[in-house]
Amino acid sequence: MARRRRKKSGHGRQPSPLPLTSMMDILTVLLLFLLKSFVVEGEVITPVPGVDLPESSSETKPRASVVVAIFDQTVMLDGRMVAQVEPNDHVSGMLIEGLAEKLDQTRAKELEIARLRGEEAEYVPRIAIQGDLEIPFELLERVMYTCNQSGFRDISLAVIGAS
Amino acid sequence: MNSRRTMGRSFRSLVENDLDIMPLMNLFVALIPMLLISAVFLNVTVIDMDSPPEGLSDNQDAGADKPLHLAVTIRDDFFVIEGNRLKKLVIDRHEEDPETALAAALGSVVASHPDNRDVMIISESQTRYTDIIAVMDITRAAGLPSVSLLGAN
Repeated sequence: MARRRRKKSGHGRQPSPLPLTSMMDILTVLLLFLLKSFVVEGEVITPVPGVDLPESSSETKPRASVVVAIFDQTVMLDGRMVAQVEPNDHVSGMLIEGLAEKLDQTRAKELEIARLRGEEAEYVPRIAIQGDLEIPFELLERVMYTCNQSGFRDISLAVIGAS
Repeated sequence: MNSRRTMGRSFRSLVENDLDIMPLMNLFVALIPMLLISAVFLNVTVIDMDSPPEGLSDNQDAGADKPLHLAVTIRDDFFVIEGNRLKKLVIDRHEEDPETALAAALGSVVASHPDNRDVMIISESQTRYTDIIAVMDITRAAGLPSVSLLGAN
């Protein structure tokens, strides 16, 4: 009896293989879907966490550009906080100092890269503004003014396009 | 005879073996997180901005050859459409469906001035960004793709 029980649960039994076929099916479908979404045309702008972009019917694809994000009173440049703007603060005029300083550095760096590549003549400083849908125009205006002062005259507003 | 039987058995055992999909599994397990990170689930597009037209300050005497300088002002309670050679039009935002009324008014302006592609959107300091984008959508749909932003003050 004991021998029989040992035989049932013993090492002599061939382990049944794990059925992986259904899992492979799921993974294949998932892989194809992800590959399709990976192959997109043009530049990709990733929304900055914390920024709720407004929806729009625009279908214009974004181009390679510096990204400025605005939400609450915070201004971020390429994912880094550069300024905190108090509402109704017009003591320092329209210019946002912290943003202007970083934009000047970014522009100088991009210009240097373009010069090294021999594309100095074609270089156009571009900026994409990711504004939270609740920000007031006053803040957007100050950011646009600062971008303009730093030489970024090609400005576009990032939105959630019609899918 | 014997050798043929042995060969047949070994061939059968070769065919009956399960396909070794573990390397493929490993590849998938590495690829899927990488693609998930870079996947684009939100279709982010852009609206290109233009600079406001030159010579806005001297648009008081509206001659026949003056540019239209079409402007949509977003107030708390009204949309105002104005420009050179245009009768000022005020749309109450508390009325039913003011966006449709704005679209219709802009449509008639575009019909009467087919050469004009520019529009200025004038906002007050506390106008919400989402309202500005909504008006931009209306102007674009009406056939005015070149948009610039201005402050009311």
